Amino acid sequence: MKLSIKEWVGPRCIIKEDGQKIYEVIHGLLKSGETITLDFNGVSQFASPFFNFAIGQLLNDISEDELRRLLIIENLNESGSMVVDRVIENAAQYHGDKDYQKIVDDILEQQARESD
Amino acid sequence: MTQKIIQIPTLNDTPEDFQQLFEMSNQVNGLFEDVRFDFSSCRFLRSNAVAFLGGFARLIESLGGSVIFDWDTLRSNSVRANLCQNGFAGNFGYNAKAWSGHSIPYREEMEPDMNEIMDYLTFSWIGKWVNVTDRLRDAISGRMWEIYSNAFEHSGTEVGVFTCGQHFRHRNDLILTVVDFGRGIPAKVKAFLSQFVDEARVSKLSGADCMKWAFERGNTTSMGGVARGLGLDLLKDFVRINQGKLEVYSNDGYAIIDKEGERFDNCSISFQGTVVHITLRCDEKLYRFYDEAEE
Repeated sequence: MKLSIKEWVGPRCIIKEDGQKIYEVIHGLLKSGETITLDFNGVSQFASPFFNFAIGQLLNDISEDELRRLLIIENLNESGSMVVDRVIENAAQYHGDKDYQKIVDDILEQQARESD
Repeated sequence: MTQKIIQIPTLNDTPEDFQQLFEMSNQVNGLFEDVRFDFSSCRFLRSNAVAFLGGFARLIESLGGSVIFDWDTLRSNSVRANLCQNGFAGNFGYNAKAWSGHSIPYREEMEPDMNEIMDYLTFSWIGKWVNVTDRLRDAISGRMWEIYSNAFEHSGTEVGVFTCGQHFRHRNDLILTVVDFGRGIPAKVKAFLSQFVDEARVSKLSGADCMKWAFERGNTTSMGGVARGLGLDLLKDFVRINQGKLEVYSNDGYAIIDKEGERFDNCSISFQGTVVHITLRCDEKLYRFYDEAEE
């Protein structure tokens, strides 16, 4: 299946609502193993909220290897590619269950060291 | 009810100037205050101050107060011309229409209207002053959207988002300031972490600690199972590559990203909200994409 992003959301891939729209179209198909091509021809502006929702959240239940095998991205310019790469990297490392206790302890420890 | 008179001083965009703005905003603490802004001491007003004053005025109005900018006290013709040109004066009771010059229009956004904001960034800001390819212009506008996305999504602002910018011919610098009077980044970070960690410990985090946490890739106060937290990260990468400067003031925290790296500090004067102040160098060579041939 090939999806023209310009037809679905227009020339700007910016907001999360548009990203969610694309996610809802492709998520189930990718889960069932279908190959999908996202064609960005005619899209010129990009921001991370769109890609977080369109692509990043696919990694919640699809492995990165599987996603790279099934999802083909075409005609995405360098600016958009940079954002997608960062979004995939970030989503692959994302854990909803971060150890915030340790994070705060580390910050306060550092704060104490700096004030010595 | 007595009217509070607030003197607007000469304001540039150094940290000291921002502190003066925050001090000024702290003079109005209550509901239903009537405020008159006096320009007698103002000989210069940068676009960051314009965006801040506009937002501050709308905040006072939203609390049931009234605001008058006393245009009769404005002695500086250059300040008057600038405020007329960028549309600020017309928004606040002065009978003047904005015109196209070196100012970048003052804007008030109540809603995150993506197309309106992107048109402003693309055609009235970067596209108006910097002679770059359309592709690069579009890439820069996309990065700037991350500021608005953060302001609308995370700040909880009830009075909107305020923007002004300027192009400085001699240095060829392009400036954009985006202001909101929402919760502020440190307050949001602390509220988020308090869900998982004892509040007494979280309250020990300084403004600088919270700003540093917010600027780290992947850190976000959003919940809901979608990885986020890239907006500030993408923005700071962009500014670094292009030898620009990104400053963020929020509550008692301050962050600066420039060619020297990134630093986080505590501000002596806190304010409720966030100011993002970005300076880009308009040198086309800095922005060229890898695959764009040298001319």
